[in-house]
Amino acid sequence: MLIPRKYLSLAAVAVLLLLSLAVLSYSAARLSETGFLRKMVLEAAAPVEDAVSISLGAVDDAWKRYIFLVGIGDENRRLRRENTALSEQLNRYREGYLEGIRLQKLLDLQDGLSRRVVTARVVDHSRASLFKTILINKGTADGLRVGFPVLSEQGVVGRIIETAWHASQVLLLIDGNSNIDGLIQRSRAQGVLQGAGSAGCSLKYISRAEEVLPGDVVLSSGLAGVFPKGLLLGVVTGAFRTGEGLFQRIDVAPAVDIGKLEEVLALIPDPGTGK
Amino acid sequence: MIYYLLLPVWLFLLVIVQITILDLVSFGWIEIEISVIVIIYAGFHFDALRGSILSLLIGFYLDCLTSTIFGLHMFLYMVIYGFSRIVRENAYAGKPGLIACFSGFCALLEGVAIVLLYRFVFGSNLLHEIPKILVPRAIAVGLLSPILFSLFQRFEVFLNVEDRRPDRRI
Repeated sequence: MLIPRKYLSLAAVAVLLLLSLAVLSYSAARLSETGFLRKMVLEAAAPVEDAVSISLGAVDDAWKRYIFLVGIGDENRRLRRENTALSEQLNRYREGYLEGIRLQKLLDLQDGLSRRVVTARVVDHSRASLFKTILINKGTADGLRVGFPVLSEQGVVGRIIETAWHASQVLLLIDGNSNIDGLIQRSRAQGVLQGAGSAGCSLKYISRAEEVLPGDVVLSSGLAGVFPKGLLLGVVTGAFRTGEGLFQRIDVAPAVDIGKLEEVLALIPDPGTGK
Repeated sequence: MIYYLLLPVWLFLLVIVQITILDLVSFGWIEIEISVIVIIYAGFHFDALRGSILSLLIGFYLDCLTSTIFGLHMFLYMVIYGFSRIVRENAYAGKPGLIACFSGFCALLEGVAIVLLYRFVFGSNLLHEIPKILVPRAIAVGLLSPILFSLFQRFEVFLNVEDRRPDRRI
């Protein structure tokens, strides 16, 4: 026998260690479709997590709605004031929107969001983890695939990285592994929005010569083909030209309130265009 | 044999509890990573084959459900398991102080490894997460580990697994 009997189990450990390293190196290098075993785990976990989230959510809801009502009156008055201001703003935007539609027809442009949309519920959200992902209750049975963009009514949430039949894992835009091509709405300067964990995001590769101001809106540029052009990514919170190098450091607060995500929309690209 | 049959189910439930209920109990402030404590317990008490399969399986579940890089947890948990075995060979692994310090250290090591991987592979700077997420998590794991070690020992007896408490080193 090649390996003495007393070292056999240690050899097994070494083999498993090497195997895990091989899996890691393989998957770190490429984005692939989810394997059968991983699909099975996702599929089994999603309903359990969903049930736990719903029951705990009901308790939380009852507490907030019926017991913990401090400050509700003040909030109500503030919301009424905001509502009046927003209605006025909405009227102006509606005018702009109608004008945009007219111009679009004139120019015969395709609507960037004429894709099929699948609504999904967030069933798990590990808030204190280093990995910023969520689990949603829709999968390949609903037409979702790895790489599809995920949005909420506030803006871009992230993209799908794992899919099972009835569940998918979404990489949030604040994860360090997330890179989205973006542009600054005001100046049209293009860069890459990378996640920075709990600190939000940072917009990279914007030249030091560009003027970037806090409050500037960052949109998806549609360059990589994953996200349609013009989706809201976030708002610039600070731009710094410290240190050397060609680029400035730009901090961006995501438009989506990640901690409060309940429902999301997954965009299914048009099979004809692939966009 | 019963160990290998029940292991996937128990570990699956453990991972689900970890990523759902414990996250809510801690209000999303601290990640209570019981899985690391389980790995260290396996390193201190189980034989090499059983422990390494447990580590690989728990890492696989976490990779499927939370990780953004498949295989990362599997690899890190195998490394932690290997460290635990080295400690077991060289020290009396029954002292609560040692269990707490080593568990906290391993939790911190795991987090730092992830931060470094993000830094050098993806170019994303997550160093600010060390005091915010990693240190509280390491403290929580360190404080919980002696209590959970005694619970696991009872659970092991329940599963009718041979008691493999480490001998005192002379």
